[in-house]
Amino acid sequence: MSENTEDSEITVRPELRELPERRESLWLLILGPLIWSAHFLLSYITAAVWCAKVAGRTGSLSCARLAIAVFTLLALSGIGLTAWGAWRRHKYGRATVPHDLNTAADRHRFLGFATLLLCGLSFVGTAYVALGIVFFQSCE
Amino acid sequence: MPAAACPIGRACLFTFGCTLLFTLTGCDGPQSTLSPAGTGAARILTLFWWMAGFAFVIWLIVFGIAVYASRPKRSSHSANASRWLIIGGGAIFPTVVLTLLLVFGFRLMADLRTTEGADLRIAVTGERWWWRVRYLGQKDQSTELANEIRLPLGKRIEFILDSPDVIHSFWIPSLGGKVDMIPGRINKLVLEPTRVGVFRGVCAEYCGTSHALMNFKVVVMQAEDFEDWLATQAEPAAAPRSALARQGKKGFFANGCSACHTIRGTSADGEIGPDLTHVGSRLSLGADILPTTPEAFRRWIAHTEEIKPGVKMPSFGMLPDEQLQAMAAYLSGLQ
Amino acid sequence: MTDMSHQNQIPKNEEERRAQEARLAKPWEAPPGWRYWSAVNNTEVGLWYTVGAFIFFLFAGVLALLMRTQLSVPGNDFLSAETYNQFFTLHGSIMMFLFGVPIFEAFSIMILPQILGARDLPFPRLSAYGFWCFVIGGIFVCGSVFFDAAPRGGWFMYPPLTTKYQEGIGADIWLLGLSFIEIASIAAAVELIVGVLKTRPPGMRINMIPLYAWYVLVVAGMILFAFPPLIAGDLLLEMERAFDWPFFDPDRGGDPLFWQHLFWIFGHPEVYIIFLPAIALVAMIVPTFAQRPIVGYTWVVLAAVGTGFVSFGLWVHHMYTTGLPGISLSFFSAASEAVAIPTGVQIFCFLATALAGKFVRNVAMLFVTGALAIFVIGGLTGVMVAVAPFDFQVHDTYFVVAHLHYVLIGGVLFPVSAGLYYFYPMVTGKTLSEKTGQVAFWFMFIGFNVAFMPMHLSGLLGMPRRVFTYMDAPGYDILNMTSTVGAYVLAAGFACLVYEVVRPKKNQPYAKRNPWNAGTLEWMAEMPAKPWGARTIPLVKSRYPLWDQPNFLDDVDNGRFYLPDAEEGKRETMISTSIDAVPIQCLRVPGPTFKTFWAAMFTGGFFIFATYKWYTAAMISAALALAAILYWLWTGTAKIPEKREKHVGLGMTLPLYGSGSQSVGWWAMFITMVADVTAFLGLVFGYFFYWTVNEDFPPASASGPGFGWPLLAAGILLGSWIMTVLARRWNRQARSGAFYSALVTAIVFATAGIAALAAGPWLADMDPVSHVYPATVWILVIWTALHLGLGVIMQLYCMARRFAGRMTFEYDIDIQNVTLYWHFMAITVLVTTAVIGGFPLLT
Repeated sequence: MSENTEDSEITVRPELRELPERRESLWLLILGPLIWSAHFLLSYITAAVWCAKVAGRTGSLSCARLAIAVFTLLALSGIGLTAWGAWRRHKYGRATVPHDLNTAADRHRFLGFATLLLCGLSFVGTAYVALGIVFFQSCE
Repeated sequence: MPAAACPIGRACLFTFGCTLLFTLTGCDGPQSTLSPAGTGAARILTLFWWMAGFAFVIWLIVFGIAVYASRPKRSSHSANASRWLIIGGGAIFPTVVLTLLLVFGFRLMADLRTTEGADLRIAVTGERWWWRVRYLGQKDQSTELANEIRLPLGKRIEFILDSPDVIHSFWIPSLGGKVDMIPGRINKLVLEPTRVGVFRGVCAEYCGTSHALMNFKVVVMQAEDFEDWLATQAEPAAAPRSALARQGKKGFFANGCSACHTIRGTSADGEIGPDLTHVGSRLSLGADILPTTPEAFRRWIAHTEEIKPGVKMPSFGMLPDEQLQAMAAYLSGLQ
Repeated sequence: MTDMSHQNQIPKNEEERRAQEARLAKPWEAPPGWRYWSAVNNTEVGLWYTVGAFIFFLFAGVLALLMRTQLSVPGNDFLSAETYNQFFTLHGSIMMFLFGVPIFEAFSIMILPQILGARDLPFPRLSAYGFWCFVIGGIFVCGSVFFDAAPRGGWFMYPPLTTKYQEGIGADIWLLGLSFIEIASIAAAVELIVGVLKTRPPGMRINMIPLYAWYVLVVAGMILFAFPPLIAGDLLLEMERAFDWPFFDPDRGGDPLFWQHLFWIFGHPEVYIIFLPAIALVAMIVPTFAQRPIVGYTWVVLAAVGTGFVSFGLWVHHMYTTGLPGISLSFFSAASEAVAIPTGVQIFCFLATALAGKFVRNVAMLFVTGALAIFVIGGLTGVMVAVAPFDFQVHDTYFVVAHLHYVLIGGVLFPVSAGLYYFYPMVTGKTLSEKTGQVAFWFMFIGFNVAFMPMHLSGLLGMPRRVFTYMDAPGYDILNMTSTVGAYVLAAGFACLVYEVVRPKKNQPYAKRNPWNAGTLEWMAEMPAKPWGARTIPLVKSRYPLWDQPNFLDDVDNGRFYLPDAEEGKRETMISTSIDAVPIQCLRVPGPTFKTFWAAMFTGGFFIFATYKWYTAAMISAALALAAILYWLWTGTAKIPEKREKHVGLGMTLPLYGSGSQSVGWWAMFITMVADVTAFLGLVFGYFFYWTVNEDFPPASASGPGFGWPLLAAGILLGSWIMTVLARRWNRQARSGAFYSALVTAIVFATAGIAALAAGPWLADMDPVSHVYPATVWILVIWTALHLGLGVIMQLYCMARRFAGRMTFEYDIDIQNVTLYWHFMAITVLVTTAVIGGFPLLT
């Protein structure tokens, strides 16, 4: 969903040039939740395939837990990085919530802030999913 | 307009109150999760009361804020102060509470799902719409009965659950949670009864026409009584004693009932329907929808479809009444 | 873009203004007489759609009352077991498929353009097509109950009950009738996404759009990913019912649980698809009656987007008792708890807005408050059942019945009733009576709680769901009787509301303009509304322009914004960029037609005939549907304008044509294909699912399609894709000969590729009835082949368009969009061949 008309837009709205990133897109907004989804799916598939194909119905989770722990670390760092970038965008210029001005700068800050909040939710969601491996040792 | 929000609050509280009143007066019942007779049910009930209590308080707070906001004469609040409500009430508080809840939930689930250390194994198969029950013995021997499960007090019992046709779900609310019976899969469930009594199990997954009529009796007994009972169930059927019953036995075979039903000790070895070897000793008939009186047997044989729509067994309403009564006498005499 | 010196379109005097308005009104008027039904404008179609959804709602409500009557006393025989089972199946299915989702789409079609200050959605005829599909499918599904032929497998249709153990065509009606409606739902979702992203007024950047539009974007996006897995499931289940392909038969390698996965991957997001739009209404109503902007706009956006994502991680919480590994349950339990956070955030945003502003008391706010009281209870019990051990007890009991009705009635029906009161003046120009509204509210509110609060307890007392009768146990009689009485009181309340809506209001004066003093663009509408939707397309500088921009309505009315005139007598609206809403095109949208109606009739014919296994008739109907759709596209889309650009006012000149990613059609194709690939991935998921549940998959004894044929097919088909891409390029370079020969080659390649793809399983004699492995391979091959066939038709269509001069070097929307389709074909082909040809090599 990136903007293809950015160049023509620059000519209309010169203040866009001042922004750290020229291309705004909605993909960054949903990066946090996307990482959450990827982590969720990977964890689920790992556990399901492990229990169905490797360990059996009453087998131990052993390596699967380790794998999920690694996924979790990766996912949480990814979300953290995204959040850090988002925070900077949120704080760009003279930041004031509610970011409701009709300017490119406020749109920039708004997208940053929304990304930040979504990262927060994704962080909690990912941590929740990882909680499972603390309490379950077997496939039962 | 009259005060809008307060009456809503009052109406809700009133309904809450009524429900609480119901709860206090009517927890008991043969299939109530609120009067547990098993370790699983008891632990889940404790969890429920905690959650329900918390939920009630949270509801009061949230709705209290709404009622306050709707008051015509209240001081105005700044947007910034309101924003803290969002951060505190919408983000931080739920995150903390939900984390705690998850931890409790996971620990409880891990405990409930372990199948280790079972003292007794019972295979239960969900059929449309009754239960085939087999007590698994030491080697390959097993004792089959139907629609009634008796359990020894204080033992861990492992249920091995499957289904040959559609998906059913095996649930004894007083003892613990339910597990589905899925064709092509074998599921396990461990229950541990803690109180002697007669309870009711039900099919919880919609399984077709007479899903509503698929129940069973659960009897929790002292361990020694249970051993006696199981020994009796393992024996073949006794010969009919009265003349009427003997006539009924003839009728049973003459009408082809043996094609579907087994009565151990006779030539009846059908496997489609429930095992009837000791059917007269059971507490209910037709998957816990009728008593086991001779009259109930007569009605069941004559009006099967009417009593349980869609059932595989044909109605034998065309038989003369004497024959029906004789068969009823024979079957109810199978103690 | 806002060069004020160019004001040549602004009318100089009253007379000029009148003339301008007359010119503008003409193209937008609804057709007179019986041709009224050929209308495609969002105002008409949205209204029909809304009314249709409400009629289905009332029908399902009556079914519910009959069920409650049956359950009022133990052992009742008011309804037979079979009738009851049909009723509860239909009640659930109708409420979900014919009310819950459509009411959102209907309402959004009606009000979204107004909220965005646009004149129409970008594809009005697609909306009309979707509406007619919805009506035909809905009547077909509902009507079955009058012939005792309705589905009776529950709204979740679990096999094997629905594959082998229920005679009659009930399940086919459900599968085919509702698939048909699901397609309509996806069509509307595509329309709405493009609507939000591309039809915003100048200045309405992404941080300014009304919250309703955010919710529409999220919900329509969810539909795109939630419905396709169900369509894939419907396809598999119907293949098993009609042709005995054993997807869900454990004796031949299938698994009934696979259906449950596909169904709930759809079924759980579905709940949020229904719930979020209702919250969107609240997000419009609360700021208006607080008379201040929403507090925590970004937080609400977080909640909408976050819920949209997390709701896809909940599906197994409908399967807690199926015996899956505890660790798997824990993941879904975690997500089910996490989703409570964004839901809570929304509620606190509304509370914060009310606290920071006023609280105007009226019926709309009464319904909002009632919704809060009810929904919060449903949400809290939802958090409870998300804890797996508790669900082991109450799953499939009346506790869950109570929970879901608290969520859906509190979270949907009450907000929708509030929305009805709030938006009624915008649609009809008249207000609804406050007095009747209060009566209706109290009946509904008390009736609802009396009906459903006791169900929590009946569930805890062990009463299972979906029972046509029950044995007496302590408490059951009084609890059930109370519920039944409550249900009738609730119905009485709703009857009041319906009466208030339909009672004639001839003598009632029109409401004043912007009756609630709201801040958003939909309240620019005059009372009664004019056919054009927006008199001019405004330049937006605030989230609440009616509050913040001085002289706003006056500027709108006096043509001081964009597109105040319709000199050419065409329906026109503006297309802008997706982030910053910079205008990029003046889009001409098509007017009334019956073509879409006929296309829908024939599409319906295909599904309905297939239900009765009249396959010849079904195929003829499908061919007619295709012909009708092609005719509609040929005559109505990608029209070459008479001039390149147009002056739209305020000194701005916009092109009348845009192709590639500049055109709305390209976006629609992209979004549609995302949904299509999702359905395809549902089938691919099947292949790997069967791999995990079977000891050996592919079975050692089974023959497979081999490696050679799939590889060959992949090679040739990618060739076809490359030729299509080249055709697009050579067309742009005005090389006619190269264009035609590239497309001809592409068609030849595609046809050969289809043959090579089918040759693998065909030559290996793979019998789809014998085992789930050949069935899965065949279904992937058939899916891909059918899509390629459609791709060939598109390639032919481009050649014909080019030949007929309806497509040129410069005006090349058709080939651009077809190439985009073929990009997705390349992905589909690669995945299919890799799976069927490559995966067996690994095992």
